[in-house]
Amino acid sequence: MWPMRQSPRMAESPSIRGRLIWHMGLSFAAGMVALYWAASAYATYAADSSYDRLLAGSAASIAETLSITENQISVDIPYAALDMLSAARNDRVFYRVSGPDGHAVTGYGDLPDLQGPSTDDKSQFFDARYRGEVVRFVVLGREVRRGGRTGWVKVQVGQTREARAALAAALTFRALVPILLLTLLAALVVWITVGRAVRPLERIGRELHRRQPSDLSPIDEDQVPAEIAPLIGAMNQFMGRLDGNISLLRMFIANVAHQLRTPLTALMVQLRLAEADASKTTRSSLLAANQSGERLARLLDQLLGDAMVMHRADQPQFASFDLRKAVEQSLQLAAPTVWHSDVRFTSELAEARVAGDEAMVTEAIKNLVHNALTHGDRPEGAIEIHLAREADGFCLSVSDSGPGIPAEIIADPGSRFKPSHSPRGGAGLGLAIVTQVVESHRGRLMLENHAEGGTRATMWLPAR
Amino acid sequence: MRVLAFLLLLAGMQLAACSSSEQPDRPDGTVTVYSTTDRAVFEPVIKDFERLHPEISLNYVELDARPLYERFVAEAGADRNQADILLSSAMDLQVKLVNDGYAQPHRSSDAALLPSWARWRDEIFGLTFEPVVMVINRDAFAGRTVPKSRLDLAQSIRQDHAFWQGRLGTYDIASSSVGYLLAAQDARLSGEYGTLLEAMGRSRPRIYQNLSTLLNDIESGRIALGYNVLGSYAKRRISAGARLSVVYPEDYTLAVVRAAFIARKAPNSAGAHAFMEYLLSLRGQRTLATQSDLSAAREEIGGPYGRLGISGSATGPLRPIPIGPGLMTYLDRQKRERFLRNWQNAMGGPARQGNDSLHP
Repeated sequence: MWPMRQSPRMAESPSIRGRLIWHMGLSFAAGMVALYWAASAYATYAADSSYDRLLAGSAASIAETLSITENQISVDIPYAALDMLSAARNDRVFYRVSGPDGHAVTGYGDLPDLQGPSTDDKSQFFDARYRGEVVRFVVLGREVRRGGRTGWVKVQVGQTREARAALAAALTFRALVPILLLTLLAALVVWITVGRAVRPLERIGRELHRRQPSDLSPIDEDQVPAEIAPLIGAMNQFMGRLDGNISLLRMFIANVAHQLRTPLTALMVQLRLAEADASKTTRSSLLAANQSGERLARLLDQLLGDAMVMHRADQPQFASFDLRKAVEQSLQLAAPTVWHSDVRFTSELAEARVAGDEAMVTEAIKNLVHNALTHGDRPEGAIEIHLAREADGFCLSVSDSGPGIPAEIIADPGSRFKPSHSPRGGAGLGLAIVTQVVESHRGRLMLENHAEGGTRATMWLPAR
Repeated sequence: MRVLAFLLLLAGMQLAACSSSEQPDRPDGTVTVYSTTDRAVFEPVIKDFERLHPEISLNYVELDARPLYERFVAEAGADRNQADILLSSAMDLQVKLVNDGYAQPHRSSDAALLPSWARWRDEIFGLTFEPVVMVINRDAFAGRTVPKSRLDLAQSIRQDHAFWQGRLGTYDIASSSVGYLLAAQDARLSGEYGTLLEAMGRSRPRIYQNLSTLLNDIESGRIALGYNVLGSYAKRRISAGARLSVVYPEDYTLAVVRAAFIARKAPNSAGAHAFMEYLLSLRGQRTLATQSDLSAAREEIGGPYGRLGISGSATGPLRPIPIGPGLMTYLDRQKRERFLRNWQNAMGGPARQGNDSLHP
């Protein structure tokens, strides 16, 4: 009923943990790229704004010395104006002072100009290539009055970007390293948390795996995470309904079988009586009818047994009992149908105590013996029953000398109502009952055909 | 047939020349050094380097600071680079060349061991540093108090006007780049610079374009004191028996640094790096200190004129001029013009020169 042999496929199916880590990794990687951009943009801004202050200070200190002497623009570059820029240890320094006409008064005449208007005395910053390197410039205007006219003198100071780049790189790195570490930590936490969260699911999976096919009792909902509780609830409800339906069906079958048994017995008594008075021709018909009646009786018997086993499997009443006694009791129960046969039971054990449901085990043994009698009985052969200790349990083997069991039944003895090929075959319920009992007792059933003919069915049950 | 073979040979040589000049993996050939240092002073270093690297020969070109600067810039502008290494004590001009992008970086562990004032941008390195001193004629000061500081000197001139008339000598800062650099540093560092300049002007000083002439005149007693003289030259005279004395100014003693860099388009880049590495190495620095009588910039080197020796005899703080962009300030055209004008006004014009028959 539950997918018992599907574990290999489960490995291929996507894991929640892997998927979470993968998605998280992807989104974090995208986030890191975005963060890198943001961090480096911010770091460049921060580095620029701190070094720009220096640059502006330098330009301002030059502008302070501006004067008009003899109608000429005169400037006295202070030592500090250039020296303060060596705070950026390795950067080259350029400057220019140009008059209102745009001609350089002093400094580097070929410095790149600021694009756009610049006629106020606020510092304006821009980057431009100069002498093979990108240089950060500041332009500062000062209004001067010369020859009765006012004009703007521009002080331009520039510095290469090495120190800024180094500072920006350091800032970016320092910002990103904690984020990277945090990401790794988050991945680790997700890995562990998802593992813990999925553990109840794994437990439920294992529990279902271990279950008997007919076990439809509800799954324990106590330790189930809230998220999957509805699923488990639905599953339990479903199983409950299924269980109810199956029980109802089983009850119905048992009832029918029981109800049919009485009229059938009466019918067969009538047949026996009629057989005594019958003529030769009608006697053979009556014999055939009698045989059919016997098979019907056997079927009803098995149906009842099956219903009993199925019922008890739901609530097995495990107790310690002697397997040897159970065998003897089974033989007695089977005796009426096998009175003419040669059945031998051997065992070196005085007692074989197992933990289990005695009624179920007895029913199983009865069916094994009955199968051997029905299918394996031949005039020259005998039925050998042997009980021995093996490993932590007991082995009960039933051997016959019949034609053997079809391969498909050996492969799957638990299936019900397989059409029997034997002319005397039953309804195919016998082995299903045995399988059910063995499974509910955590035992093993082994069927084998001997090369020289005959079948051996071995049932192993664990000791107490 | 012979012509063809000859042509092939020529082509082969050409190819070989191309490949060797484009991929100078192993240093060899000739390294051209433009330097302001006297060849005689530098000779032990050249010898030692050529002993260490027999495959490299040095072409040592001695130039004054300003011509060195101008020749190099002209050659670089015409894309006919000849110099591999430039070595000059005109630190401001060297810094300007580096700032203008004429240098290539030289990264090595030895370079990193230089004190921070002796390197900039991994490109320019101070190899030696030299205290700038006052040199006196001991006979002229017999029985007189020797001025110990700039203020001492200014006061002495004021008080003993007659003694000092025409008996003080110094560089012509208009023509000497080192002289200009030193005067500019004085103006920057000294609060008494104005006082000193005024006093010096009153003494009707003699102005020299050449250090040897200045020292000659002190030695001969023509003048009594030389101001802002490179200490190593004076020391060398004293070792040779001259009756001179060196005064390290108490207020502060400047130290000028011989700065070297490798030209960005050096024809023999690999050779230049090898020579620079040698100059920065302990062996090179020791040779500079012990055999060339220069003070090594590396602090591990003591030597007769090492830092410790100077600190011991000087009572004032030693101020090495740091290599950095600040040095370019006094190269500013307007600033230079104003500074020279002030100086010449104070000194009474450039007319009275000590001797102008030698170097321009």
